[in-house]
Amino acid sequence: MERDNLLVTILRGIALLVVGLFFLFPLFWVALMSFQTNEQILRIPPSIVFEPTLSNYWALISGRLVSNAGILEIKFMGNLWNSVLLSTTSVALALLLGVPAAYAFARFRFRLSEDIAFTLLSFRFAPPLLVLLPLSLYFQDIGLTDTYVGLIWVYQLIALPLILWIVRGYFEDISPDIEHAYRIDGHSWWKTFTRIALPLARPGIAAAALLSFIFCWNNFIFALILASADKQPVTVGALAFVTASGIQYGQIAAAVLLSITPTLLLALYAQRYLVEGLSLGAVKG
Amino acid sequence: MAELNLIAVDKIYQSRGKPPVHAVQGVDMRIADGEIIGLLGSSGCGKTSTLRMIAGFEEVSRGEIRLGTRLLNDLGPAERGVAMAFEGYALYPPLTVRDNIVFALLRAKTPRAEIDRRVAEIAALLEIEEILDRYPPTISAGQQQRTSLARALVRRADLSLLDEPMSQLEPQLRAILRARIKDFLIQHKMTTVFVTHDQTEALALADRIAVMEGGVLQQFATPADLKEQPANLFVASFIGEPPMNIMEAEVIESDIVVRTQRNEKAFILPAFPGDRPGDVRVGIRPHRLKVGTGPLQGQVVSNQWLGDQTHLGIEVAGVLLVAVTDGALSVDIGEHVPVDLPGDALHLFDAAMGKALRHGMGPVA
Amino acid sequence: MAFLDLDRISVAFKKEQVLKEASLSVERGETVVVFGPSGGGKTVLLRLVSGVMQPDSGDVRLGGRSLLGAGPEQRDVGMAFQNFALYPHMPAFENIASPLRARGMAGDEIARRVQETARLLKIDHVLKHFPKELSNGQKQRTALGRALIAGPEVLLLDDPLRNVDAKLRYEMRIELPRLLKSFGGAVLYVTQDYKEAMALGDRVAVLLDGRFLQVDRPAEIYRKPADIRIARLFGDPTINLVPVKPRLGANGPEVDIFGSRVSLPAQTGHLLDRDCMLALRPEHIEVRTEPVDGGIPMELDAVTPLNVRTVLFLRSQDGREVLATCSEHEQGRFGRGHRAVHAAIDFGRALFFDPASGTLLPAAA
Repeated sequence: MERDNLLVTILRGIALLVVGLFFLFPLFWVALMSFQTNEQILRIPPSIVFEPTLSNYWALISGRLVSNAGILEIKFMGNLWNSVLLSTTSVALALLLGVPAAYAFARFRFRLSEDIAFTLLSFRFAPPLLVLLPLSLYFQDIGLTDTYVGLIWVYQLIALPLILWIVRGYFEDISPDIEHAYRIDGHSWWKTFTRIALPLARPGIAAAALLSFIFCWNNFIFALILASADKQPVTVGALAFVTASGIQYGQIAAAVLLSITPTLLLALYAQRYLVEGLSLGAVKG
Repeated sequence: MAELNLIAVDKIYQSRGKPPVHAVQGVDMRIADGEIIGLLGSSGCGKTSTLRMIAGFEEVSRGEIRLGTRLLNDLGPAERGVAMAFEGYALYPPLTVRDNIVFALLRAKTPRAEIDRRVAEIAALLEIEEILDRYPPTISAGQQQRTSLARALVRRADLSLLDEPMSQLEPQLRAILRARIKDFLIQHKMTTVFVTHDQTEALALADRIAVMEGGVLQQFATPADLKEQPANLFVASFIGEPPMNIMEAEVIESDIVVRTQRNEKAFILPAFPGDRPGDVRVGIRPHRLKVGTGPLQGQVVSNQWLGDQTHLGIEVAGVLLVAVTDGALSVDIGEHVPVDLPGDALHLFDAAMGKALRHGMGPVA
Repeated sequence: MAFLDLDRISVAFKKEQVLKEASLSVERGETVVVFGPSGGGKTVLLRLVSGVMQPDSGDVRLGGRSLLGAGPEQRDVGMAFQNFALYPHMPAFENIASPLRARGMAGDEIARRVQETARLLKIDHVLKHFPKELSNGQKQRTALGRALIAGPEVLLLDDPLRNVDAKLRYEMRIELPRLLKSFGGAVLYVTQDYKEAMALGDRVAVLLDGRFLQVDRPAEIYRKPADIRIARLFGDPTINLVPVKPRLGANGPEVDIFGSRVSLPAQTGHLLDRDCMLALRPEHIEVRTEPVDGGIPMELDAVTPLNVRTVLFLRSQDGREVLATCSEHEQGRFGRGHRAVHAAIDFGRALFFDPASGTLLPAAA
């Protein structure tokens, strides 16, 4: 009964092309900018054909920016390292705490379990600005300002709800009978969790970890307020390019490209898991 | 209604990137006015595709479907004048059960009094009187299925198409509902085609049954003919519960040498003059096995008394056979009993192709 | 002291009192079938015995020792689930081997025993396959293998044949008794199919209203169901139920039924002037085309074959629906469509139930 005629196919192709261009064009433009000098970028009219240069990247990597106003120290590589450290550690901690918690919420009905779950999830709804001021005051009192530990702790607000939300759905989708069967076979509760529940929920855990990593990596406001220069991730570090002597578009572009590369690669590699994870195992398998 | 004719009907499903699926292959069927026809087979055999082509929900890839002389191929479902009960019930959720049932009657502008009468009749028949004012999401699967069936039957259409109409029925209701539905269809002379994978259901309702497998029509005959003269091994082992006992054997001169599953010689049956030498399959229906007398010795493996019939599992020289008797039989598990497989009860099939060679005394027609 | 003792178990599940002081004993080597309609608590019962759930009150004892508080891994129990519950990320071999690995058995001993069990269940050729590559029948046998392999004291089978197609279901019904006999421990088998119950159980325990209403040999339950609901559940087609009030007539007890006056056996004297439900099994109603002495005239409305028997749908002169059965070979006599017939009914085999409580009334005073 479905007859796809040529017109529909062509229109569909055009629509996809337009949407694709809309989302990918900025990325493409930024990539171009990263190989141009400031003069080339600011030239009017802008042109796609130019002499590419690696000076921007070189400046970032070496940590020294040579400009008309003098030599500037750039801590970009340090920021990159901070991003990596903060994101991976936060996600690791969130997994350690969140996966067992998700299992508990999925499998056990205890008093207030729904309320607690909702509270933890609500952290995602609240705008960070709401808690930022009190948080920064508390951090100063406890002495956690400008520490990795403090930031990792705050990043749990981002990662934990995501992991709970996604992984809980995955655990719920595993038929309880499978775990019962394993216990009836004679295995302990712990072995059932590690040999049955975890492997079967692996796509969900991977998806949740990936997404949390991306969100932590992209976070700006917590690091801006609660940390200072040498602990800041790339999101904040990019501000440094807005210098007194002018905005270094070339370096910003290069910095942007370098900072999105890890997450872009991860997402491309694991896109299947992301889609699977986000659909929360809706289809019964 | 005139005769419904399927002439060399083919259905081929094409999907991109995959080889085409030849779901229905060259099906020929003539259905007389008022006949009740069952399309029977396991899932994927093509029976539902065939039904949907008759309804008009699927295009016929090759061949023709005619009602009398009228060609139905290009007509949409609404123009064919058929009533259909779908496997997924397809009830309208915002309407009550009663409104679901009368929907098509209202469209046909049937008078109100007639509508009420028919609804009362069909609701009593299918035992859904108590849920007439409930909504589909609030009733059980069995009740939803009966509602869907009521909606199709109440129209008393020229052609009624039912897709797995009773699969969800509670076991206690099955016998009486089948009987009532059959009576209803016969009394109102409704030509009906239904699809099922349950051979018990097909045998209960149909005047003739079309057995399908792999898209190919295996045999189109009355229940009695399917049981007594199955066209091939597939039909023989599909029809009947318990199904026909099938044994591996070889015809050597005037003997049929029956072998066990491990290829050892088990026992010998007398061959008929016309039986050609070679590998065969021998079938005998469970109620034709004689237990208590006979030249063979068997050991009882299970004795299942079901209240009105006994199902016996007997191992004869390593071959497991099932026998059915009408009354209770007091033999214990492990006991030895004499067994007979009378020559006129045997069915011979070709081992390679499965085609029937002989039924009982006579040659294959 | 029985081998497996369920002592006054009560449990509430999803706010409903599912089991109310239910008690049952199972001997070693015995197969007890727990039978009842869906939602009746049968699965909950198995979960209690397996240790996955704990009862609200009551005790579960194995060999005299209480199992209360012990987790599933501490009980020596094997279980086969209705939806198989196989480990999807392990091949069939590992699924079956799982209980042996839990007991720390050596690798080559495990391999030997898994091969042996698989061969017995005819799945030795698919051991390397993952569950999603297996057919339903193979999945069920894998689940069975896993339950049996460590030779547990108690085997729990939760409607294992429910999700398996009709052919295989029948085959396993014939083969299971032999398998269960060789098992040796106590077996609790849950099913909603009374034929399975009669075929497989040494005793059948009928679970209704949260308690075991009747526990007896299957033939006894069929012959003398303790409750009208059990009479309806045990039998296909369903038993005929007619409200009557026996009176004292000229020649002894008599009753007005089906538009005729019929004599009852003398022993029914204690039921005089008492409202009863008279229950008649379809196989005790013989339908003749010619008048017969003591026969009751009725109208035959439809003939629906039911495998080895045939169901005759009758309407009595007082408008009641009556189901009778006859043997397969007799069905041809009756044709298609309505006709007048005569029913010879064996009232000596009729059962009487109290209409209010549903309990069986004694056959004689």
